[in-house]
This record gives sequence, structure tokens and C-alpha cells, in this order.
Amino acid sequence: MTEPTRRTSELAALSHELRNALACIHQFGNILIDGLAGELSGEQREYIGIMLENASKIRRVLDSALDGAPEPIEKCLNKIERASGRET
Amino acid sequence: MDRTRILVVDDNPTIRKGLSVRLRANGYEVLFAEDAISATAALVTERPDLVILDLGLPCGDGFVVMERLHKNDSLANIPVIVLTGRELAGNRERALQAGAAAVFQKPVEDGNLLFAVRKALDNSRGELRFDD
Repeated sequence: MTEPTRRTSELAALSHELRNALACIHQFGNILIDGLAGELSGEQREYIGIMLENASKIRRVLDSALDGAPEPIEKCLNKIERASGRET
Repeated sequence: MDRTRILVVDDNPTIRKGLSVRLRANGYEVLFAEDAISATAALVTERPDLVILDLGLPCGDGFVVMERLHKNDSLANIPVIVLTGRELAGNRERALQAGAAAVFQKPVEDGNLLFAVRKALDNSRGELRFDD
């Protein structure tokens, strides 16, 4: 494996690991904020909000440094729209 | 009426748990698989209404699961939503060509994932909605 290829592979693995960890923080933070695990006090909501905001910052850094900006929802769904044959 | 059943395939147990909490809160029944072999087995035995599929899996990968799914006529209409930690370049088009209804990179906004789930289920049931 050449050095650039090895480096690319390492960065892809790093991105994958960070994205899985961020996904867990994001998922459970939102589960708490949405009250799916019980009602929160105002102070608890504020602190989880801070946690989520900072997780989003890490995501943006990751997007810009490694993978590019996230795809818009329309692009994620294009196969569905194509399959339906109609615009929504 | 039976609840809609969604098979979540991911080798990360925390991701599986988080998705199950969110999906159950939205009225879905959730099944799990943690690798490509158990995912293929669950597709055959459980026949879920939709699959949320990671690409990086032990014992194969998400593309192997989609290939097996689409080779089986009785399973081929089950919609698949890919949710991956892999880079989108290359993987997104490959997954769409393999038959995925939608492709998201982790972490995904819950609202976007749930929207895609509803759209994919509506499409697979021939119940297109135009009010979303």
C-alpha cells in the first residue's frame, strides 16, 4: 500500500469511528431532550442542549476536514423520488 | 392492525439501542441484527417491513445484505435505508444503485430519518403521499 493510500484509509477509519461515537451522543442527547426517557428539569435540558450543540460543532469540523458537507435531505431521498416518478 | 416492523442492522449496540428508542417512540416495532449473516437470516425469518442498514458489518457488509435481499423475489420489495459512518463519496451512489431507498451518513437528524422511513414505507405499499 502506498503512503497516500494508507493515509486515506486511516482517515476514512478515523472518520467512521468518530461518526459512530457522535451518532451515539446525538441520538441519546435528543432522546433525553425529547423526553423519551422521562421529563427533564429546565436546567437538565439546558445542559444537554450545550452537549448537543458541541457535538454538532465537532460534526461540522469533521465534515469540513474529512468528508465534506452533509448531503441535503432531498439528495438522500432521491431514489425514493425517482421510484415514485413524481415530484413532491 | 399489526405494527410496522423495522429491522435495524448495525454492529454497534449503542446505535441499535438509540435507534430502537426513537423508532419505538414513533410506533414501530424494532428487530435487530448485528452482522451480515444474522441480518440475512432475519430478513428471511422475520420479513420486516423496512430495513435500516449499516454498511460496515462483520461477516460481510451492507452491500452483501442488499444483494441477497434483492436476489430473493419474496424479499426484494422490502425498502432499505442505509445509515453509515463511512464516507459518502462512492458509497452513496453504490448503495442507491444496489437498491437503497435512501442513504444517510451518521449522525443523522432524527426527523430526516423518520421522514425517509415514512416515505419508503408509503412507496413500498403504493401509498404515495404528497403532503409532506
